[in-house]
Amino acid sequence: MISTTLSRRKTLALMGGTAAGLYMPAIARAATVEITAHYSMPAIFQEAQEAVLAAFSAKHPDIKVSYVNPTPTYEDGAQLLLRNAAINQMPDVSFQGLNRLRMFAERGIAIDLAPLLAGLGDPAQYGYSKPILGLGFHGGVQCGLPFATSNPISYYNANLFRQAGLDPEAFPKDWDGVIAHAAKIRSMGAGVDGMFFRWPGDDWMFSALLYGHGGRMLTEDESDVAFNGPEGLAALTLLDRFVKEGGMPNYAGTADLQAFAAGQLGMMFRTTAQVRSISNSVGSNFELRTTTLPVIDPVKGRLPTGGAGAMITTTDPAKQEAAFKFVQFATSAEGTTLMVKNTGYVPCNQIAIDDPSYLGSFYAENPLFQAATKQVHLMQPWYAFPGQNSVRVTQVMVDNMARIIEQKATPEQVLADMADEVRRLIPRA
Amino acid sequence: MVDLSQNAALSRRHTRRIDSDTLAAWALALPAIIAYLLMILLPLLAVLALAFTDYELGARGFAFVGFDNFAEMLRDRTFAASIRNTFAYALFVVPLSIGIALLLAILIEDGARGRAFFRAALFLPVVSLTVAMATAWQYLLHPTIGPVNTILRDLGLGTPNWLGASEWVLVSLGFIGIWQNVGFNLVLFLAGLTAIPRELYSAAEIDGARSPWARFRLVTWPMLGPTMLFVVIITMTRSIQVFDTVQTLTQGGPNNASEVLLRTIYQEAFHYFRFGYGAAVTLVFLACVLVLTLIQTRLIDRKVHYG
Repeated sequence: MISTTLSRRKTLALMGGTAAGLYMPAIARAATVEITAHYSMPAIFQEAQEAVLAAFSAKHPDIKVSYVNPTPTYEDGAQLLLRNAAINQMPDVSFQGLNRLRMFAERGIAIDLAPLLAGLGDPAQYGYSKPILGLGFHGGVQCGLPFATSNPISYYNANLFRQAGLDPEAFPKDWDGVIAHAAKIRSMGAGVDGMFFRWPGDDWMFSALLYGHGGRMLTEDESDVAFNGPEGLAALTLLDRFVKEGGMPNYAGTADLQAFAAGQLGMMFRTTAQVRSISNSVGSNFELRTTTLPVIDPVKGRLPTGGAGAMITTTDPAKQEAAFKFVQFATSAEGTTLMVKNTGYVPCNQIAIDDPSYLGSFYAENPLFQAATKQVHLMQPWYAFPGQNSVRVTQVMVDNMARIIEQKATPEQVLADMADEVRRLIPRA
Repeated sequence: MVDLSQNAALSRRHTRRIDSDTLAAWALALPAIIAYLLMILLPLLAVLALAFTDYELGARGFAFVGFDNFAEMLRDRTFAASIRNTFAYALFVVPLSIGIALLLAILIEDGARGRAFFRAALFLPVVSLTVAMATAWQYLLHPTIGPVNTILRDLGLGTPNWLGASEWVLVSLGFIGIWQNVGFNLVLFLAGLTAIPRELYSAAEIDGARSPWARFRLVTWPMLGPTMLFVVIITMTRSIQVFDTVQTLTQGGPNNASEVLLRTIYQEAFHYFRFGYGAAVTLVFLACVLVLTLIQTRLIDRKVHYG
């Protein structure tokens, strides 16, 4: 009896074991979570994204991330998500322009990352300092985490500086100095221009002047414009002086880049994201240098942040968990190091910024990229306007600034008109 | 054109009774009809419906807002500039690109040599990629380093900021438009000219049309009527549809000085994601094209002599 029971037990155990054995692969397969991710501007980000994915896959073999076709611009990327949202076929993770994250959160597409971050305990331990989290925090929601950031810097032609009798080692510390330098470079004639401040395109560079004075776009409760105070006027007055005193030309499209690469433009103020492409187009025509943007208010002054942030769209808990692991890795000290080395953007993880073992040697070898990192402590979010006219507002600002550049209106008139028009486009409280 | 009008008359007579020919005709036309329904009519109806909503791409819902979008257009500074610029552009580009093309076509047709060369050279702008060409134009018209302004400076003339100044930007875009359209129109006119029987010129000469101008006025001009009608409609439509040069070169700036209808639609729908408003502007655009085409066909068709 005993022996039979034993043997029966054995058999059962065996059977169970076999069944479990047969079942195992299925369990392993179920544990592998597959998620899809999307990013824009492959020309800039492809190498970085592939490096991040390879490193992530090695660390997390249980999560399979695959990229959908990257979209050429942030704009196309936003369209893709919005179109796919309508048919519920969105990629689980998407890297979008930082100033677009708010729109996705307002439309219920990007999930709030705050609960997932809370699961980590203290986010600062993972390199998510308050200012870094702030870049993806809009309207009370943690819409995303910054993946690649940029800020505006100064580019200049050291050869033109020397020809004009200026010292390329001593780039002006304030805008008065820049204007004086510009006038001097321009006075050499032969079609040479002194400076160009990249005001067209969007409100980003205007916000550099506004934040520089310590101003803000809207009031704290977002019910009214706030840029129409003394800071906004000072910002527009600077723009006016660039034209009047610095002889700033009105370049359309990419004419500024063409003039700069041809050695006909002394100084250029625009995003650090273009360091790589500008130094490529300059080649060995002249000695290209970069430095920080002139300081306006040393205490209150801040700078806007451009770039991309990662957001999560999936509502499935298992996928959400996997997606968050991926996003967390992409924005970790390790991920941001891979991103910086492959793009030249500013790191978005405090640990990678503070610890030279991550990027110290990269910056020593690539001095042109240093300018932006020296301004990291000044970075604040590129303001995303609330409501349905979020992007349209920025065009209204650009259109009005054009009137100053063409010297058709005074900064006072433009500021008043800009405030009126923007006020009509923001949601009424 | 001749064949078309005759066919229309024939088919009208035939549809009175259903026979196998009629069925065959319908069967043959069916793929085209289905394609038309799916690709043109249904999207058009969707646009029509969207124009009366506040739908935004990605929004969870939408509401019917009646004529709100159209009312907004009346207050919209960008839309006003857009309409104004589109018509100014068309009024500048259409007559000049047709006139220049006709002149060149007659010169090439009368010329003894180099006919193939000139035809190919002038047709090149049509086959080249506009976006790539726009980059070349941007360099040519660059305010400081561009060859155009370098020459003007050497001649001691003023150097306008072709694409940056609001006074010049539409003119510059217009010239690029003319450059693009002339080659296309030229080829159409050359085809039209070749179709004019030589005997008509001899007959006109015998009847007393001694000067080339008289022969042009009495033979070429009337015989070119059908071609002219086609060229006018095509050029008009192409001019109202201007988009790629504006988008690549000026982005509608400065301060809306080069904003055009198609770009406004694109901006509203795909940049601001305001599909409802974008659809309403699209309807206005379609109405413009429709009215212009109707006026032209009604007015010119009466005077066109189908030889």
